[in-house]
Amino acid sequence: MISKPHNDSVLSIAILLIEQLSFLFSLKYSRTSLTKTDAARVWAANSLKGVFMKAGAALGTALLAFFLFLPVRAAADDRILYEGDSIYHHITVRQDGTERCMIFGRRQDLRQTCIDFARPDHPVFEYTAMMFAAFLFRPDASSVCLIGLGGGYVPAVFRRHLPSVRLQTVEVDPLVEKLARRHFAFSVPPGQTLAIDDGRQFLKKSRERYDQIWLDAFNSDYIPAHMTTREFLTLVKERLAEGGIVVQNVFAGNRLYDAQLATARAVFKKVFVFEGRQSGSAVIVAADNPAVEPEGLRKQALAWGGRLGGIDLVAEAEKCRVAPVKGEAPVMTDDFNPANLLLMQKK
Amino acid sequence: MQIVYWVFILLLVSFGAAVMGLEILSSNLMSPYFGGSIYIWGSIISSFMVHFSIGYVLGGHLSLRHPRLSVLAVLLVAASLWVLLIPAMYKPVCEFISERIADVRLGSLIAMNVIFLVPISLMAMVSPYVIGIMALWPRRPAFTGGMVLFISTVGSFVGTNATAFYLVGVFPVSRVIIGLGIICLTVSLFVLALRVDNRIKW
Repeated sequence: MISKPHNDSVLSIAILLIEQLSFLFSLKYSRTSLTKTDAARVWAANSLKGVFMKAGAALGTALLAFFLFLPVRAAADDRILYEGDSIYHHITVRQDGTERCMIFGRRQDLRQTCIDFARPDHPVFEYTAMMFAAFLFRPDASSVCLIGLGGGYVPAVFRRHLPSVRLQTVEVDPLVEKLARRHFAFSVPPGQTLAIDDGRQFLKKSRERYDQIWLDAFNSDYIPAHMTTREFLTLVKERLAEGGIVVQNVFAGNRLYDAQLATARAVFKKVFVFEGRQSGSAVIVAADNPAVEPEGLRKQALAWGGRLGGIDLVAEAEKCRVAPVKGEAPVMTDDFNPANLLLMQKK
Repeated sequence: MQIVYWVFILLLVSFGAAVMGLEILSSNLMSPYFGGSIYIWGSIISSFMVHFSIGYVLGGHLSLRHPRLSVLAVLLVAASLWVLLIPAMYKPVCEFISERIADVRLGSLIAMNVIFLVPISLMAMVSPYVIGIMALWPRRPAFTGGMVLFISTVGSFVGTNATAFYLVGVFPVSRVIIGLGIICLTVSLFVLALRVDNRIKW
């Protein structure tokens, strides 16, 4: 277990900074006071110096508190098992009760991938449940390509409840794989494979055809823009078998969502969405020949017994509908790609 | 202020802006072929640094041999024409390289150099060239070397922000590049047409 190895160095840097600051202050004001000859002025300058020294010390203390207090407070509620930087992300692994989460980025409230160790197949997040409901648009799928590993919740559900499906997982960040193995009991069972590669590069090089391709390589505050474009979805379509579907995890609250729907519609004949009710998540399903339409999804879910492990397929199927057409949303291409700007623009 | 200083400002600002605009846009050109990792930024920034260095040395050297703005302007015309070709050139270049080189770090580094070595090296010559020309004047010029760098950096600041936070959201990348190329071409032709070298009063 590695727990915040940087605290000591942060402390020493903060102290160093404060020392330098107060040194500079004292230097500056002792110099000015030397040039004054009048005793009253010297006194005034000295008291002024005292004020500035105090202000400097207060500022230093505030800085110190800022550096130290935040991580300490976070650690009081729950346990941080890992915090560090990979070449792509700032990653935190946190234990909160029986829930263990991998968090990307500095905003600790967003884009988590979690596993509840008390109930390992329970969907902690709505989007994973919706993605598995989307599976029913191609229920006889025998091969799935998943782009984005995270904590390995999705492969774990496949392993436990859909063991006959050959799952190819692609993860760009080697540290994510390492942390998933170390902290989330992730392993690659027979029938599943894992590649460490950029999703787009992997699909480009691949000669496989998949029945479903799942895109889950997205942060709430950053999106790999090269995996949002018409050219990318065209490549995805080329890697799909006859009747194949694309399942994409997105966020509904920003203008990027409309652009993603417009882009999916530019490549695929049919585009459906699951819009989250407990969260801002949405799942886009795109296909040329899906097995069912959204109206038939409930029946399909019932035919599966209504559940997949901890996921209530019938309830999730209710959230699905044909994607609404928004005329003004742009189609994103490799050439015109404002994905990360649109992501920041709330609807 | 003499007209030559206004010409200096025009060149420094527009090429300072164009260079950084291109640097920002190059990530959009690279990521479909080499991924969107920090490696791409490593390749982009390091190759631009190399191109700047080449431009600084060459610009300083040429400015002493041919201390005339018209010579610089002709070189900048060539750089602008190259920039106008980038939208047509980058797809086949990146495709060719990414299919042959599996390592995205090496691949993107090579692609960056093939596409940007010539124009960025030429465009980086503006600041040292201006300083070199002024250094040969018999009277002390109104701009210091630091001032020249300041003006060019202000241009870079504007180019970076306008491109990253505004232009990519409004226009396709290829059209922004064409736009930058047209601005650069217009500025360098304008400077050439002004015949500034004959108007300098010592």
